[in-house]
Amino acid sequence: MNRFLCLLTVLMTLAACSPRERDAAPAGILPDIWPDYVGVTVPATIAPLDFTLDGADALDVRLTAPDGTSLRSGGKASTRFSGKGWKKLLHASIGDSVTVTVSGLFDGAWRRFEPFSIYVSEDGIDYGLTYRMLEPGYQIYSFMGIYERELGSFRQRALLENTQFAGCVNCHASFRDDPSALTLHIRGAHGATLLQKDGRLAAYDTKTDSTLGTCVYPYWHPSGRYIAYSTNNTHQGFHAQPDKIIEVFDLDSDIQVYDVANNQIITAPQVKRPGIWETFPVFSPDGGTLYFTSAVQVEIPGELSQSRYSLYKVSFDPETGTIGKDVETVLDAADFNGSICFPRPSYDGKYLMFTLCDYGTFSIWHHEADLWLLDLATGETRPISEVNSDDTDSFHNWGTNNRWFVFSSRRDDGLFTRLYIAHFDGDGVASKPFMLPQRDPKKYYGDLFLSYNVPDFVTGPVPFDKIHAQKAINSPERIPFGFRWSE
Amino acid sequence: MSRAHRIAAMVMTALMGIAVYLFFAFRYPYHIHFQEQYQLFEFTWKYFAEVTWVPGGLADWIGRFITQFFYYAPTGSVLMAVLVCGVQLLVWAACRRRSLAVFALTFIPAILLTAFFCDENALTGSAVAVALPLACAVLCRKLGAVRTRYIVETVLVPVLYLACGPLCLLFVLVAACHEVAGGEGRTWIFALCMVVLAALCPLAAGRIFPYTTARLVQGIHYYRFPNLLPGMLYGAALACAAVVLVSCLKIRRQLKSVPSLALYAVLVAAGTFLTLRAADPAKEEWMRYDFMVRMQMWNRIMMQADRHNPDNPKTVSCLNLALAMTGRLPDSQFSYFQNGPDGLLPGYVGDFTNPVSTGEIYWHLGMVNTAQRYAFEAQEAIPDFQKSARFYKRLAETNLVNGDTAVALKYLKALQHTIFYRKWAKETADLVADGTLFEKRPELARARDFRLREHDYLFSDTEMDSMLGLLNVEHPDNSMAIDYLMSWCLLRKDLNRFAECLPLVKASPLPQAYQEALLLLWVFTHEDFNGLPPYISPSNVQRLNRFMADANARKSESVMEATYGKTYWFYYIYRYLNRQQ
Repeated sequence: MNRFLCLLTVLMTLAACSPRERDAAPAGILPDIWPDYVGVTVPATIAPLDFTLDGADALDVRLTAPDGTSLRSGGKASTRFSGKGWKKLLHASIGDSVTVTVSGLFDGAWRRFEPFSIYVSEDGIDYGLTYRMLEPGYQIYSFMGIYERELGSFRQRALLENTQFAGCVNCHASFRDDPSALTLHIRGAHGATLLQKDGRLAAYDTKTDSTLGTCVYPYWHPSGRYIAYSTNNTHQGFHAQPDKIIEVFDLDSDIQVYDVANNQIITAPQVKRPGIWETFPVFSPDGGTLYFTSAVQVEIPGELSQSRYSLYKVSFDPETGTIGKDVETVLDAADFNGSICFPRPSYDGKYLMFTLCDYGTFSIWHHEADLWLLDLATGETRPISEVNSDDTDSFHNWGTNNRWFVFSSRRDDGLFTRLYIAHFDGDGVASKPFMLPQRDPKKYYGDLFLSYNVPDFVTGPVPFDKIHAQKAINSPERIPFGFRWSE
Repeated sequence: MSRAHRIAAMVMTALMGIAVYLFFAFRYPYHIHFQEQYQLFEFTWKYFAEVTWVPGGLADWIGRFITQFFYYAPTGSVLMAVLVCGVQLLVWAACRRRSLAVFALTFIPAILLTAFFCDENALTGSAVAVALPLACAVLCRKLGAVRTRYIVETVLVPVLYLACGPLCLLFVLVAACHEVAGGEGRTWIFALCMVVLAALCPLAAGRIFPYTTARLVQGIHYYRFPNLLPGMLYGAALACAAVVLVSCLKIRRQLKSVPSLALYAVLVAAGTFLTLRAADPAKEEWMRYDFMVRMQMWNRIMMQADRHNPDNPKTVSCLNLALAMTGRLPDSQFSYFQNGPDGLLPGYVGDFTNPVSTGEIYWHLGMVNTAQRYAFEAQEAIPDFQKSARFYKRLAETNLVNGDTAVALKYLKALQHTIFYRKWAKETADLVADGTLFEKRPELARARDFRLREHDYLFSDTEMDSMLGLLNVEHPDNSMAIDYLMSWCLLRKDLNRFAECLPLVKASPLPQAYQEALLLLWVFTHEDFNGLPPYISPSNVQRLNRFMADANARKSESVMEATYGKTYWFYYIYRYLNRQQ
């Protein structure tokens, strides 16, 4: 008994001597946390935004909702907010903000940083994201897959991985309101385009005698009946300069529209012009316009840095599947002294977001690439400086309620692309973006040698039978695409 | 077996172990190194979970754990011998009736396994996947209670499938042999049930794991190429089961000592024959050169070339790199076999072996981005999707040189989870932190100094001369780039380009091969030797006259090679003939 009392006394003495968070000295500055969630706007259903405090031996974090609800987490490496408590806290803060007070243990002493806010938007966000994950590489690919991530939790589900077949999987696209409708491409020995619509999944051979090659960048028509594709003869070049690594460019490219109902590729001379490269087709939300980027062919590699893509549009009649005759310039690359990539109209038809880089068609390898916004009503453009960084900010997609967008960014280390989500208000102003949350994000992203690629929102879990898909891919059977010229 | 027989048996096992060790340590050591460089074994839970969460994953993880020690070939050879002998002893332990003849038969799987490991794509985990089911079968045999044994064996079938992959069938077959041989009544029904259960495992796994049924049936990590069936491995596994089956048969006539010894002799001969037949000396030679390039053993490369002139582009390119790194390329290149520019800078091949040593050449030349690309591509091309410690190291270096420190630190962090690269990675990360990296690592400083800053281009195999020239334009002290440029022109027989680039050469006197090339160009463009530049030795003129006279006299190639084999003229006339003259 005496021994026990002695031990208890020693432990209590030690505990009394160790530094306590409540004795923390005010630091007078905002905390240097990673990911940087200071002042971000989040949806109420987002998974807990765990973070680490740079340089701290331990951290202690208190979150407080406007009604006084609080949540505390701490530890040596990272916060680990309870899912239930986090959800309760965010719901108590909708339309307002959560106050975050961070204390850190530095050299044996606690410091308490200035509190900051995480704004909780009233705008809901879609169920989740789909994206591809692969190593940011050159021509050869190793392991990769297409995944679905539920935004309300940390759950990630593999839809298709290339352990199931020999080849590469890319350019997936889900239909806006119906995650069960999707298209994706398989490259390699088992090359095909998988198309799932109305519960039926089949593998197609998308190359026809009348088209340049297989289908590449997809975008669904709002009716779900058509998919706009580009077809590209894509190559890579490799720079000698240390600040440039890879250049991806097309030696030829055209636009075509696939009629799902009639299994026909439709194209027209005005989007298949000799000496002109057309790519990245997208439909307007009303389905009556087809936007795409286009550039005059240049000599590769000598004139590659003069290759600038402008934004064009052409009318599209969904009743007859007819591509209009007149191609109009929407944005002239010369006005920006840059090149336009990945146009994406908001689903309410008010804005069009695009990536602007110095030249070429593949902004992902351009450190200068930034997101820009076109107001379709006024024709005004501006860089979305609220979200842009010093490094590559590129491929993006809108949430179905137009209040959120996701984009890929290399701001963290210059190579491995990570996903950021930003709020977009009714006045066309974006908020500070937040990184896709993970449990112990520093460890997760630090150990992750895969990049996120082609992110898109989905309104619900993607009903995708990967075993059926595997069988379809590994089977030699391919349904050929038909072809017709637009009238 | 008598005590003498048991001792003799142990001696035989030991002798086989020694033979396997000697084979891998002295005849095949570079295959051991080759295995090590195509994996990155990390001591982390995440890595353990990732590797083991596939059928056969535990065996694969243990195999990778062992393979990391192949960093040192002698250690790797010992481990290989232990694995092979372990399998042989486990088969013996699983045998029901024991005799000298049965003991001899237990060497058959071991021999087949040794032959299998002569293939550089055989993965170490496959031997573990043979050993574990055998060990389980041996342990199960010790369970006395029939019901308990049945339950344990039934549970072990799916467990072993998860741990070892389809080679769990070996457990099923061995356990079935024992049950049928030792049991009474309808034990064969239980045996049949186990076989059916084993057959169902891949089908059930297909619902859980993202692999095709074919891969789940043939094994995911037994062989580096996932779509190829490793026949020799399955032969070894079936031989294990067959030997156990033989040991269970009630054979009335047992072999006497002399025939048993004859059986040993036959197996020794067969084993030696099979192993030597499975071995590929040409690959071993290339792996030797690649290893020496990796370790920067330039003098050893030249000594090896003096012993045996390399004759394929990959080995010749390693030799040429060694010559260049020691400043001997201009003078000595044509003293060795050359057959075109592929022996200087091999063309890009998108697999996991070819870009490895070629990437080393670009690294030493100062073409950092190309070295990075080659390392990355080689790693991505590893067919079973593993990562490579060697390539991670190179990628850390290229990113450090390019100023992409955050990316480099990511690679260094992963390397710090390994045994043999941890020290280097930690030291490098510390040097980055205290800002003295380029002071303490002269190789990195050299690469940083030699890389291009002002000029840019898109890499092109066909414009190698321009790219090499630019390296020298920006960094006149990069003499290796000039050596490669001149050699590139000579090997392509592009004498006009060679003459254009000659002013960049600062060496005096002019290297012998350069003089020979200039003389040849002179002959092509002049009537006589009047006005010949003073830096061309008159003795070379006389030798060229003799060479031309002999060539015109249609002397055989072998006679010409004996006399002029080390001249550029001989190369020009008799080598690299696929190019139109």
